[in-house]
Amino acid sequence: MKKLICILFSLLFSISNAKTIQVGSNLSVKKIKKALQLAVDGDTIVVNSGVYKEGNIIINKKIIFLGKGFPILDGQRKFEVVSINADNVVIKGFKIINSGYASLDDPCGIKVYDRTFVKIENNILDNNFFGIYLQNSRNCLIKNNKITAYGKQEQLIGNGIHCWKSDNLQIIANKISGHRDGIYFEFVTQSIIWRNISNKNIRYGLHFMFSNDDAYITNVFKNNGAGVAVMFTKNVKMYNNYFEENWGDAAYGLLLKEIADSYIFNNKFARNTSGIYMEGTSRIKVEKNVFESNGWGMKIQASCMENEIVNNNYRKNTFDISTNGSLVLNTFNSNYWDKYEGYDLDKNGVGDVPYHPLSLFSVLTEKTPSAMLLYRSFMITLLDKSEKVLPSITPDNFIDKTPLMKSLPL
Amino acid sequence: MWFKNKIYKSILLLFSFFALVSCNSNESKPIKLNSDSCDFCKMTIANGKFGAELITQKGRYYKFDDVACMIQFDKTSEVPSKVFFVNDYFKENELVAAEKSFFLKGGTINSPMRGNFAAFSSDKEQKEFQTKLNAEPMTWQQVYDSYK
Repeated sequence: MKKLICILFSLLFSISNAKTIQVGSNLSVKKIKKALQLAVDGDTIVVNSGVYKEGNIIINKKIIFLGKGFPILDGQRKFEVVSINADNVVIKGFKIINSGYASLDDPCGIKVYDRTFVKIENNILDNNFFGIYLQNSRNCLIKNNKITAYGKQEQLIGNGIHCWKSDNLQIIANKISGHRDGIYFEFVTQSIIWRNISNKNIRYGLHFMFSNDDAYITNVFKNNGAGVAVMFTKNVKMYNNYFEENWGDAAYGLLLKEIADSYIFNNKFARNTSGIYMEGTSRIKVEKNVFESNGWGMKIQASCMENEIVNNNYRKNTFDISTNGSLVLNTFNSNYWDKYEGYDLDKNGVGDVPYHPLSLFSVLTEKTPSAMLLYRSFMITLLDKSEKVLPSITPDNFIDKTPLMKSLPL
Repeated sequence: MWFKNKIYKSILLLFSFFALVSCNSNESKPIKLNSDSCDFCKMTIANGKFGAELITQKGRYYKFDDVACMIQFDKTSEVPSKVFFVNDYFKENELVAAEKSFFLKGGTINSPMRGNFAAFSSDKEQKEFQTKLNAEPMTWQQVYDSYK
C-alpha cells in the first residue's frame, strides 16, 4: 500500500512538473519572449489579453501556447509574427495581425518549419502577407482559424493557408478571404481539407499543384477571382463542395489541368463562367453533381480522355458542354439535361433518343469567341435545331445515350 | 503659301507618327497581375517576379506566369515568336528583353510552374543573387534550349 502511494505521488509530481506561465501587462512576466525563455518542454504559456509588439516570436520548445481573450500579436508590418521551430506545439486563441510585407522572403502570420504534430487552432489572422505557412511538416492540424487579408489586384499578396512539401495534414473549418489563394497545396500528400469556407480571394479559393492522394470535402468556394484549380495531380477526391459565383474571362468553378484518376462526386457548380474546365485530364469520374446557371456547364478540351460523366444534373446553363476538337474519348451516361427535347414512350424514365449535349453554337464560339454576339439570333436558333437533327460541325458520337427524363434528387 | 506648306508638313508628321506608333510592336505590354491569365497553363498570373511575355511574328501578345510556360508555348505553337520578355526578379513586375537578361536556375527559387528561372538585367545582380539563392547561372540561350 505504501509503495502504491509512493508511486502515485511520484506520478503526481511528474505531472505537476509541467508548469504554467502566465503572461500579462500587470503580471510578473510581461513579455512573451521572457516566458519562452523560462519555459521548458511540456510547459504551458497563457497569454492574457492585450497588445504584444515583440517582433518575431520564435517557439523552439515543445509548449502549449494559449491566448486568453484573444491577445493581439502585432508584427507591425515588419516581422514574421510567430515562427514554430519545435514539434508538438499547440497554438490557440491568438489574434495575429500585420505580418511583414516582402516579395523576396515570405513573411507569415504563423510559419511552421519542418515540424510534426503542430496544432494551430481558433486563431484570428488579420492583414498578414501569408496567413499560415507549413513547410516540410507532417501530421499537423489547422482548425477553426479565421484568416483575412485585404489583397487587391495588381498587388503582391501571399496565400491564406500555404502548405509545401508536407504530408498527413488536416485543414478543417477555416474561413479564408482576401488572400491570393485561399488554400494552396504544393507537393502535399495524404491530406484532407474539410468544411472550410474560402471566399473572395484574389486568385483561387483552393489551389493544388503536384499534390497527390488528397481529398477535399464539404468546402465552400465562392466569389474567388478564378475559382478552384487542381493541377498536375493524381488521385484527388472532391466531394460535396460548393463552387459558386466565379465570374470572369479566365474564371472557372473548377479548373482541372493534367490530372488523373480522380473522383468528383456530389458537388454543386452554380453561377460560374464555366463550371468545370478540363484540359489534359484522364480517368476521372464526374458523378452526381449539379451544374446550374453557369455560362458553360463543362468545357472539355480535346486533350481529355477516358473520363466518365454520369448521373449529373445540367440545369439553366447557357451551354451545357463545349469542346474544341472533334475526337470523343469521354463517355456521357444517364445525365439529366434540361435542354433535352426527346420523349419516353416506354415510360422507363430514360429518353428514347440520345441527347447531343454539344450545341452548334458552343462549337462555333470555341473557334471564334466574338461570334457570341449573334447568340439568340433567329438564324442561330434555326441552325442549332438543324444541327441537332443532322450533325455536321459537331461530332455525331458526342452523345448521352440514356438521358434522364427527370432530374436527379441531388 | 508658306503656311499651307506648314500644314502639309504637320499632317505628314502626324501621319508618320501614327505609322510609327502602329509599327511600334517590339515594346512589351505590362502584365496585369491577378487579372491576366497564362496563355499556356491557364493560371492567373499573380507573381510579378516570374512572369513572361512574347510577341509573335504576326504581332500578337501572349502572357505567361513562368518562363517555362513561355518556352513550352513557343515550342508548341505554329506561329514563330519575334521577341521574348521576362520579369526582372529584382523589381516588381517589370518586363525586360530576355536576350539581354542574365538568368539563374534552381536553388531556392520557387516559380509558379516550377520552371524556377529568375531573370536579372545585369550580371552584377545575377552574381549577387547567385550565392543568396544558391542557384546556377544561365544565359537566355541555355534557358531556351533546356526545353524541347
